[in-house]
Amino acid sequence: MQRTRWIGAGVLASALVLTSCTSGPAGVDAKQNSKAPLELWTRTTPGGPGEQGTLKLAAAFEKATGFKVKVTAIFDDFETKLQQRAAQKNLPDIVLNDVTQLGAMHSQGLLREIDLDKIKNSKQVVGQGLDSGKSVDGKQFGLPYSAQASALLIRKDWREKLKLEAPKSWDDFAAMAEAFTTKDPDGDGKNNTYGLAAPLSTKRGYASWYFSNFLWAAGGDFITGAGDGKYKPAMTTKESVQAVQWFRDLGCKNKVIQPGAVTMETPPTNETFEAGRTGMFVVGPYLLPRFDETLGKDKYEVVPMPKGPKDATVLAEGGSVYLMAGSENMAGQDAFADFALSAEGQKTGMEGETGFTVQLPVNKTVDISQVRPDPRWKTYAEIYQSSGRYAPSIPNWTPVRQTTADAVNALMADCDLDTGTKLKELDKQLADILKEQGIAAS
Amino acid sequence: MSLDQADPAALPAAGPATRKTGRTAGGGAGRRGHDRRAGRWWTPWLFLAPALLLFLYFKFIPMVSALTMSFQDVQPYLGNKWVGTENYATVLQSAGFREAAWHTIVLAVGQTAGSMALGLALALLMEGQGRRLGFVRSAAFLPVVVPIAVVAELWRIMYHPTADGMLNSLLGLVGFGPSGFINDPDSSMASIMLTGIWRGAPYDMMIFLAGLTSVDRGLYEAAKVDGASRRQRVWHVTVPGLRSVFSILFILAAIRGLRVFTEVFLLTNGGPDGSTEVVMTLIYKLGLEQNRLGVGAAGAVLLFLATLILTVVVHLLRRRESK
Repeated sequence: MQRTRWIGAGVLASALVLTSCTSGPAGVDAKQNSKAPLELWTRTTPGGPGEQGTLKLAAAFEKATGFKVKVTAIFDDFETKLQQRAAQKNLPDIVLNDVTQLGAMHSQGLLREIDLDKIKNSKQVVGQGLDSGKSVDGKQFGLPYSAQASALLIRKDWREKLKLEAPKSWDDFAAMAEAFTTKDPDGDGKNNTYGLAAPLSTKRGYASWYFSNFLWAAGGDFITGAGDGKYKPAMTTKESVQAVQWFRDLGCKNKVIQPGAVTMETPPTNETFEAGRTGMFVVGPYLLPRFDETLGKDKYEVVPMPKGPKDATVLAEGGSVYLMAGSENMAGQDAFADFALSAEGQKTGMEGETGFTVQLPVNKTVDISQVRPDPRWKTYAEIYQSSGRYAPSIPNWTPVRQTTADAVNALMADCDLDTGTKLKELDKQLADILKEQGIAAS
Repeated sequence: MSLDQADPAALPAAGPATRKTGRTAGGGAGRRGHDRRAGRWWTPWLFLAPALLLFLYFKFIPMVSALTMSFQDVQPYLGNKWVGTENYATVLQSAGFREAAWHTIVLAVGQTAGSMALGLALALLMEGQGRRLGFVRSAAFLPVVVPIAVVAELWRIMYHPTADGMLNSLLGLVGFGPSGFINDPDSSMASIMLTGIWRGAPYDMMIFLAGLTSVDRGLYEAAKVDGASRRQRVWHVTVPGLRSVFSILFILAAIRGLRVFTEVFLLTNGGPDGSTEVVMTLIYKLGLEQNRLGVGAAGAVLLFLATLILTVVVHLLRRRESK
């Protein structure tokens, strides 16, 4: 008797479950309506300055084109919330999100291809920026609207006290890090300063993210293109090994990186720089407003990274405009992308003291110093144009970043590990990841 | 022998035991009532319906869909694809998972044993009625009520890896060199375990305290009269008296141990060199960070099965023992 009841309840429950799991076909061809308001999602803190900036940009777009936009700011679990909308087959029309999300969103079928002929201003966009929006098969699925690159921040007062020049080579860089560590640059008589601030936690792949600035400057690579949209692992090449060894020596041999780096992501690392525990930091321009306030504008300076064994390549990042699949207002989507890339859109995005949506312009005709006279921004813009390099748009970059972060973190945490063996292991893991994503070169 | 007979079902165990007898007795009465009132078997279900409906939508359906997802390549927009047991194969074959499973077991065993030992010691020290004891007990209980994020940040500061770090300066006083704590692959696991014990022990202490009140005071006096030392009284009177408390705590702690996530995520995120990677942090990375929800779901299902098996085994052992 009791058993049959349980079975009944079970059947009922599973019927309910099944009804909730059925899925219809993906709604790709929606009926077009150019009057429909565009729903725009941006990955920034709701109520924060980022949202204000986006609202300003949206208002300028409405004024210029007559389309209507509704802005929604989401920060926590942005990707999860997007997945939920995907499950309802009702995506927002436009998403402003990190450039590295392209592969993941594209492979999930969330994006529609962008016809560059319809985006006139795309011709004025920096080359590597435009390329960052291409998927593995070379089709355009995103357009950058804001860029960042890494530069070297140095404690100016420390450098001047020790009578050093800004580093021109990796040797200078290492020497300065050493001097900051051993020569008591803050003059408090205590041995409590370190040369380089480095977030080397595995969380969200920070270690790999930070190390890419050094790896690429040495001519090394995480994975390297082998033509036809195929890739192969590259962490055991001579250049990569050299870069790892050099970076590892900073931590293991010279001990110039702040202690505890291997469990630190950016917030605690920023604090070491602010608190006068570290003297150099390789970061993007978004930290300038913060450090101006906490440390003081006169205490530190912004210079390009010194040339490594190959060149001065640094990591370029930024935000992209993604046009989502299934929109009923594709004309409006195109118009927004076009406006965001235009000189007017870029300038609007750069205005303001903190609430700017555009860090560095991607439009070649825009001179940053017209909007922001502070020469440090000019330095950043030049670095981006000359040496900025994006992570490749493979279907899913996150596993590559995470796996390499694990390896870099391991090598920095455990100085007894053998570099060669660990990197060989890493290459094998990377090969598996590439194979799983279907882009491994045979 | 009289000890065994005097062994009363201690507080927490009394719950299920009486409920069980209650149910059989009530069942008999119910059947008689059932005959008298003819039907109405659904009346209790009606009362339970609101709760069951909530459970259904917020617990059981998500659980079942996680189970389905574990057999799928999850792509909400394009439609999920069935891939059979591929996700399970991916999880089980990855070296990372096996390592993480081992770390989880080590951490669970260490934290469970440590918290129980420390909790029992604290409970024995703080047993009694004194007014001041209440204050001390509340103070000792604090780690449990402090949010784990705060706890992790505090311990991160205490674990600062240079000689002027808080714990390191204490170690320095007794002549030990500075330890890397969470930053050194050799000591990271022990450091996380220590944090977990610090946090878990007061909780265990509270349950032990509740259990201790049910130990017959007369037994202590009898043992004392028979010439038992303090240690013998603890070992031969208190510990057997707390047997059922131990098994409850063991189940609770083991489940908590297997699902350990927050402290690891906040202190090391599985690093350095993967030395503290546990199953939950791995599932988080696979499922949410890399957006491979199917693989993440498979890992979660495996973890659920492990927890289930463990609970059932402990339960069966207990039942056999009580027979």
